[in-house]
Amino acid sequence: MKNRLLTLGAVAGLLLLLWGAQRFADEYQVRLLNTAAIFITLALGYHLINGVCGQLHLGPNAFIALGAYTAALLTLTPAEKSRIFFLEPLIWPFSQLTLPFAAALCCGGLVAAGFAFLTGFPVFRVRGDYLAIVTLGFGEVVRVLANNWQGLTNGPLGLKGLAPHTTLWWSWGVAVAALLVITALTRSGYGRAMQAIREDEIAARAMGVDVFRHLMLAYLLSAFFLGVGGGLLAHLVTTISPTLFTFFLTFNLLIIIVVGGLGSATGAVLAALLFTVGGEWLRVVEEPHVLLGFSYPGIPGLRMVIFSLALLLVIIYFRRGLCGGREFTWEGLGRRLRRLKGRIPFGARPQR
Amino acid sequence: MGIWVWVKSWLWALLALTTLTGSGSAAAEIKIGLYLPMTGSAAAMGQMVWEGVQVAHRLKPALLGRPVKLVLVDTKSDRIDAANAMSRLIEKEKVAAVIGEVISSDTLAGAPIAERAGIPNISPTATNPLVTQGRTFAFRACFVDDLQGKVAAQYAREHLQAQRAAVLIDQAQDYCVALANFFMAEFRRRGGQIIAVTYIQTGDQDFTAQISGFKGKNPDLLYAPNYYAENALLARQARELGLKTPILTGDGAQVPELLTLGGPAVEGMVFTAHFHRQALTTELGKQFLKTYEESYQKDLDAFAALGGDCYFLLHQAMEKAGGTDGAKVAQALAETKDFPAVTGRITMGPDHNPVKGVVIIKVEQGKFAYQTTIQP
Repeated sequence: MKNRLLTLGAVAGLLLLLWGAQRFADEYQVRLLNTAAIFITLALGYHLINGVCGQLHLGPNAFIALGAYTAALLTLTPAEKSRIFFLEPLIWPFSQLTLPFAAALCCGGLVAAGFAFLTGFPVFRVRGDYLAIVTLGFGEVVRVLANNWQGLTNGPLGLKGLAPHTTLWWSWGVAVAALLVITALTRSGYGRAMQAIREDEIAARAMGVDVFRHLMLAYLLSAFFLGVGGGLLAHLVTTISPTLFTFFLTFNLLIIIVVGGLGSATGAVLAALLFTVGGEWLRVVEEPHVLLGFSYPGIPGLRMVIFSLALLLVIIYFRRGLCGGREFTWEGLGRRLRRLKGRIPFGARPQR
Repeated sequence: MGIWVWVKSWLWALLALTTLTGSGSAAAEIKIGLYLPMTGSAAAMGQMVWEGVQVAHRLKPALLGRPVKLVLVDTKSDRIDAANAMSRLIEKEKVAAVIGEVISSDTLAGAPIAERAGIPNISPTATNPLVTQGRTFAFRACFVDDLQGKVAAQYAREHLQAQRAAVLIDQAQDYCVALANFFMAEFRRRGGQIIAVTYIQTGDQDFTAQISGFKGKNPDLLYAPNYYAENALLARQARELGLKTPILTGDGAQVPELLTLGGPAVEGMVFTAHFHRQALTTELGKQFLKTYEESYQKDLDAFAALGGDCYFLLHQAMEKAGGTDGAKVAQALAETKDFPAVTGRITMGPDHNPVKGVVIIKVEQGKFAYQTTIQP
């Protein structure tokens, strides 16, 4: 009960912060916050299948692409569509259909989940490296389809002119929803079964866990959140084309959840923040500076060098990621605060 | 614990650095932002454009009696980063105008942000028609695929006397697909016949099946508007299989690697292009060429020339507008007429697409030889 209240309080605090950001931050800062929230959503969705269930899934770019294209095709107006699709007209019924943003996002998530349902059967027949290869293959299939199905996706020309629907409320709302749903699931009986599958599949099966059903559940939910995240991403960048959804996107998400600590939702959130906001903040090393009479010309690309060094340091010194598979809990925070208090010599010692 | 102290001290040092060196900009200077791919897959093109802009800046460092300052931000050849970069230039650096991006898909991410903020932005090389379509503040210095494809068809019909053309398209590149489509429409309109259309993918190595297919149909022109690597391989394999049809292609071929990869096989290949150093007609262009080649000790290429043109176009528009007000500068840019730039005399056409001459280049004795300039 107390924990629930604390969580509620934290969400209220975040809402207040967002309201402040909406009013006082400039467009650049808002954009960064939006990007961070979207990457949190994507990382959490990916974490569910990769971190919680321990299946090396390498095709999240497919689900993100499906969500992005579905949502984008549903929010564009017919006039805008006929202008973009000048080489080959868009096929019916998409050419006439326009939905509100919320409905389009849901459709994006559902289409991604639908694709997950279809691919789930072949994917979960295999394990380990084979599963990685199969999912990688499906990821490529979607990208190649997007590249060649001119009448549906406008091929390599891509879609442009999406309305910038992704506001702080949408992006952070979805991120918070993803966090709450995924942590609740992880702590439930389903989540325990998923973790059991991750630790030892045969033992889990021996205990009566229906492996396929649990994996499928995680895969569907993960695909849904990836799809919704894709829809949000499309309406933040306002233009999409197949090049956005290459294996690189998967790779970035993989870096995020590994640096955060595989199996830790807290780690996924922290690393996603670090990846998006930290990456922008590091731009200062690429700008020219004059410091105490020395002039520094600014080297483009230096931030990627620093970024990769930081990754190396994390992998060397925090071998299991920043959070090492542990989660943030209110009890943990309380313990830590008490310990901090104990260090202050003149402060009142906690009473036992 | 030791590592933490170390990491922490570095982080503090960095933080201190960022606050200490905050922008100490003079109020009088005019800031022009650039968002270019300095790293990532398109880095080579981004760097050439950056060189060109710097040379142009050196030639005209002041505007309306105020110094111009260039602010460069890297986009990593990535779309999300390109959007962030554009936003950063506008909100944090407070630039008056923006030059960039190099790749069409990244420019599509940056342009709407500038459009909302009312900041004129001009891309040196984004040829996708969607980039400027229906926008008030988005411009480009290059001609679009539309114009290039049409001129290629005109050249094929009038100069090469082609009647039966076969077309080979790299369908993974929006640039190649668009170019081919515009070529085919214009070629047919001018009374030619398209006898075969075949698709390939970027990175394909073997074109023997496609070439054999063409051979049976006996075309008198092969239009393959693809990038240099595919062009070089295509030429080699076509010559090996005995297909002697002349090959016409687009500006993606204008890279020295075409000659090294293709060797004697690319001899005689013809392509439409933005720029050739012998095609210079304007005084500004000659001055630019001299300064560029003196400072970098290499031949001026199309990317640097187009980068320079972006700067010159913005410069003249701001001068005409008498200030840096976004709406006025955009209007002045849109009204650009017969401006003597580096890549020719530029007139802004509908949808802010420049109308200017297209250069025709032929590979002769292992060199890019200037043929003619076709005015559309």
